[in-house]
Amino acid sequence: MSTAMNFGSKSFQPRPPDKGSFPLDHFGECKSFKEKFMKCLRDNKFENALCRKESKAYLECRMERQLMAQEPLEKLGFGDLIDGKPEAKTNS
Amino acid sequence: MGGLWRPACRRVTFYGWRWSHPGSPTRVAERVEPCLSTGRSGTGSAERGLRRLGTWRRPNPAPDLAVQPPRRPKSTNPFTRAQEDDWRRRNKTVLTYVAAAAVGMLGASYAAVPLYRLYCQTTGLGGSAVAGHASDQIENMVPVKDRIIKVTFNADVHASLQWNFRPQQTEIYVVPGETALAFYKAKNPTDKPVIGISTYNVVPFEAGQYFNKIQCFCFEEQRLNPQEEVDMPVFFYIDPEFAEDPRMVNVDLITLSYTFFEAKEGQQLPVPGYN
Repeated sequence: MSTAMNFGSKSFQPRPPDKGSFPLDHFGECKSFKEKFMKCLRDNKFENALCRKESKAYLECRMERQLMAQEPLEKLGFGDLIDGKPEAKTNS
Repeated sequence: MGGLWRPACRRVTFYGWRWSHPGSPTRVAERVEPCLSTGRSGTGSAERGLRRLGTWRRPNPAPDLAVQPPRRPKSTNPFTRAQEDDWRRRNKTVLTYVAAAAVGMLGASYAAVPLYRLYCQTTGLGGSAVAGHASDQIENMVPVKDRIIKVTFNADVHASLQWNFRPQQTEIYVVPGETALAFYKAKNPTDKPVIGISTYNVVPFEAGQYFNKIQCFCFEEQRLNPQEEVDMPVFFYIDPEFAEDPRMVNVDLITLSYTFFEAKEGQQLPVPGYN
């Protein structure tokens, strides 16, 4: 909770998510993808950059099962993974 | 002796006014001079009065003195009257300036509204007016690979809500400009369906404006059936401009904290923060 009690400072304004809320996966349809993602994270010491393929697979599973609005993958920040292999690092 | 020549003075000046034209101020001055030279009120003020009379070009009193001027001067002495008229003129000028300033201020207060909006858009102060947070920004953003940020997750539940709500990973290492996925898990151990609604908080506060959620499970009612357990994902990214903000140079840890409340009919979600 925001504990800024001073009047001068700005208070935290929670912002709604850009694309709204995920519908709940009541039937666990994408659970296997999630497990793969979590295993990847644990193996790679929780580095997100190394597990982006698994997160892309999870979101694709959601989109297929109508648990997420269909969206081209570039708009979700997976532009470099579309061809199936990650691009070589262009910026350092 | 003073009483004797005083009426003479007045008479002289009376004549002087009657016969003066805009082009002949000097005759007035000449006529008035004899009473001035006796040093009635000191040479300084006399000279001033003389000068004022000399430059006084009002055509009004010359033709008709039977008609009273609209504002009766307080004294009939020409020098103080001139002075009063001068004051009145100066007062009018000052009044005009003040009125113009007041109107200008009123206009500025009307203009302030669109100007402030423009200013907010360019600077994005307070995170309330942020431009460019669209999906095309996500498309084009380039990850800043040399700035690794640790994001830790926290889960809280309101006292009246009996869910088991916890994050599925303690932390995740991301870089600004890269989209990331994280999971929370919630279980309803009761025998009744429960509807919860959540909100979030980001610490440190200034980093919160760079923390963008593409999709999550907050602010909407989520219903859990009895004994049901679900995975709740959060899909977010940190704005690449985070790396360029000088205030964020020492920020390496961001904590995302979710809190679930029970949603009742007609209940308003208590949004954290002091508004």
